[in-house]
Amino acid sequence: MSTIQVEVQGLSKNFFDQARGEVNAVSEVDFECRSGEIFGLLGANGAGKTTTLRMISTVLQPSNGTARVLGHDVVREPVEVRRNLGFYSASTALYPRLTARETLTLFARVNKYPAERTKSRVEEMIERFGLGEYAGARIEKLSTGMKQKVSIARTVVHDPPVLIFDEPTVGLDVLNALDLQKGIQELRDEGKTILFSTHIMSEAERLCDRIAIIDKGRIRACDGLEGLRAATSQHYLEDIFVHYVTGNDTPA
Amino acid sequence: MNPRTVSALVANDLRQLARNPRLLIFAVALPLVMWPLMWYLTSLTTERRQERLESRTYLYAVAENPAAADGATWLDRALARVGDDGRNGDADPESGPAVLFERVAPPDDLPAALDDGRLHVHLAWEPGTEDRGAPRAVLTFRADLDASGTAEGYLRRALRSTRVEVREQRLADAGFEADPADLLPVERIETASEEQTSGLLLGRILTAIIVLMMLTGGSIVATDALAGEKERGTLETLLTTAARRIEIVTAKNLSILSVALITSILNIANIVLWMQLDVIPAPEGLKLVIPVGTGLLLLFLYAPAAVLLSSALLLVSGRSKTYKEAQLLFAPVMLGALAIAAIPVLPGIALRSAIVVVPIANLGVAAREILTGTYDWPLLAAAWAVTAGAAAVLARASVRTLSAEKLITASDTDAADLAGGPALFPRRVAGWFAVLWAVLLVWQLNSGGGIDGRLLITINLSILGVAAWLMIVRYRLPLRETLSLKAPPAAAWLGVLIAAPAGLVLANGVVRLASLAMPIPEEWLEAMADAFGADLPLWQMLFFFAVLPGILEEIAFRGVLLHGLKTRLSRVPLVLIAGIAFGFFHVDLFRIPPTSLLGVFLVIAVLRTGSIYPAMAWHALHNALALGGARIEQIGLTEEPAWWHYALALAAILLAFRLMSRPRVS
Repeated sequence: MSTIQVEVQGLSKNFFDQARGEVNAVSEVDFECRSGEIFGLLGANGAGKTTTLRMISTVLQPSNGTARVLGHDVVREPVEVRRNLGFYSASTALYPRLTARETLTLFARVNKYPAERTKSRVEEMIERFGLGEYAGARIEKLSTGMKQKVSIARTVVHDPPVLIFDEPTVGLDVLNALDLQKGIQELRDEGKTILFSTHIMSEAERLCDRIAIIDKGRIRACDGLEGLRAATSQHYLEDIFVHYVTGNDTPA
Repeated sequence: MNPRTVSALVANDLRQLARNPRLLIFAVALPLVMWPLMWYLTSLTTERRQERLESRTYLYAVAENPAAADGATWLDRALARVGDDGRNGDADPESGPAVLFERVAPPDDLPAALDDGRLHVHLAWEPGTEDRGAPRAVLTFRADLDASGTAEGYLRRALRSTRVEVREQRLADAGFEADPADLLPVERIETASEEQTSGLLLGRILTAIIVLMMLTGGSIVATDALAGEKERGTLETLLTTAARRIEIVTAKNLSILSVALITSILNIANIVLWMQLDVIPAPEGLKLVIPVGTGLLLLFLYAPAAVLLSSALLLVSGRSKTYKEAQLLFAPVMLGALAIAAIPVLPGIALRSAIVVVPIANLGVAAREILTGTYDWPLLAAAWAVTAGAAAVLARASVRTLSAEKLITASDTDAADLAGGPALFPRRVAGWFAVLWAVLLVWQLNSGGGIDGRLLITINLSILGVAAWLMIVRYRLPLRETLSLKAPPAAAWLGVLIAAPAGLVLANGVVRLASLAMPIPEEWLEAMADAFGADLPLWQMLFFFAVLPGILEEIAFRGVLLHGLKTRLSRVPLVLIAGIAFGFFHVDLFRIPPTSLLGVFLVIAVLRTGSIYPAMAWHALHNALALGGARIEQIGLTEEPAWWHYALALAAILLAFRLMSRPRVS
């Protein structure tokens, strides 16, 4: 029986911008994610995906509404939230002068993973992500694909129940992207709750158990792929997306 | 705070630094080599130059005129003395001075001859007058040319010594019995111990050296600490971990401090080593041995200064968006800190003055006093506490830069920035008052004696009034709300009548309490009496020192300042900070405690009544009573208050506050 791990209610974020004035980046977003599912946030660039995920990871403060991770409120208990969370995005970089092993040890310690198990956990991650040969090399010397593996290992090294992947495949080639998707599916199969944002339809279609379509900071629809198909009478996710975002159906 | 997290973060910072060979070479290794090398080369070239100047032959010419004959004997005697003036003291007396002068024919074109080195100095004699007797020597030379300037110096000093010699000889010839040199012998006895002399020397420069080294060493890590992490994208990775913001800032501060400490120790040890090896000359009178106890005390003293500097660096790094921006901003921080650290060099500055409230400078003066053995504990503690407090404020501010969303989001302004006006004011108020405080401090330090007390207070209050007006206009503050221009509850006036005398009793109690730690000098009391117009007609005294401050200081402090702070602080910190800030504007050290207490009381009065008027009345009445009290004291009518006077005063104040409360609106 899956349990609710992430709960988002009425979450909003307003920014003030010199050029545009007040911007409602995210408006009254509600959703929940259960253990063992990949929950996708599908939206165009600037739709509010990253802002939503940053609020859940406590990097940004919500202007309104609440979000809870394993029952911990993002505003009142930010440290507990982050402890149960692994956050991966194209903009979360690694320290170039550390080796892969040092990187994993650092993030296990900083995320308060039990000290006595840190060493074995780090070796386990090195094994699992096939980093063995390169574990002693500095990150700056690794290829993009290897760096990305270290990044994922870094995200899960403290064994968090909830994982956030914010447009993780941006900038990756097809093979690396597929590799990453496979890794994410494996994590889901281990029972992790995964929040995944993307603007690539095929990715969402292949990976996500449920999809929330987000546009101009608002959730337009939230359901499994079949449910979305039934509601819009469209087969392809691309058409479903257009249906919700523009209000018009693409001609068959 | 979790020590495991902090140590992991510090280890990470240091490891990255250690793996950056270029940075290590340029920031650590190179200075270690460059400093002694520069020093060595400077002293080497100075030595060489000196040698060259002393061993060369200087060319001089004497103008051919009738007076030249009179001057000839003078010149011969003078030339025989060249080199006796101490500049050439090392020359062997047997073989005579190393400096040689050679006479050449006077040139046709004197400036050209001086310019191309055919001549170094030209001497023209003017005939003696009736009054003077002896001829007058006119030396022409080029100060910008080494040889010419030196030749003139030698010749001038030699001529002067000759003059003294001849004068003394003439006195003796005229029958003056005593040796003129014995006429008014002056003997100097210096009672400072070697440690004290050396301590003064070291104390003047120590703080500046430590600050310079801390900043240069610390900035290596600081730039990278937040600005670099932001640029690389690792800051966001760090912010999404379970590390608390305070843990990250503490770790960054510790990294900065450890690198600053290591580079400082390396640099100092390096310089001391070269001094011991005599490659670098040690300043005369400087002993580098500090007793262990003094050393430990200094270490303890400098600790908050070190934290303050590292927090300042971290703050700059945190507020910069890129590495480059951080590097740019370090320059003014460095200059500002050095200027403050150089204050102990100024003569006559003692810790028992307003300097005690200036962070870093106070520790610099304290260090000097410790090294010369003339310090007192209460002021040392006060200086330490002030700098530690400032360090805490900056550390807190750097924690806030990590929470500042604008650093990781595209938008870099928020509502208040955008709208300006009243919403922005709460964030700017502290800056305005800090500048105002600095302006008043500088003005008061420079307006010491000689100014009429009435003029002085009018200018002080005008500065406050103008600043308050500027803030109101600049931020379009609603006047009525900002200045609490509302009618108070009627009972508040009764409260004021009770509170003013009671407040004065308590303020005097605070003065007595503070004087246990910092005895008030008698001269200070006299100066105060003069400053507050003890000799003015009563109405003038009341107008300038009670009514005017009661209005203008209330507008500035209980109006504008309180309004700005109100939305940012909860009740207790608001009362304390707004109150004590008022105290600190009474720059004089001994006046800070009682005026802070009054400030706290007046803030409470405004908050309880919702009106500024009772505070104005209380303030004016307080000053009037204090001035009246001082007059009574002059004729000896006061006695030492007993403890129950204070208890009664406290009870009266509490009662007054009760009377001041606004009726609750249901």
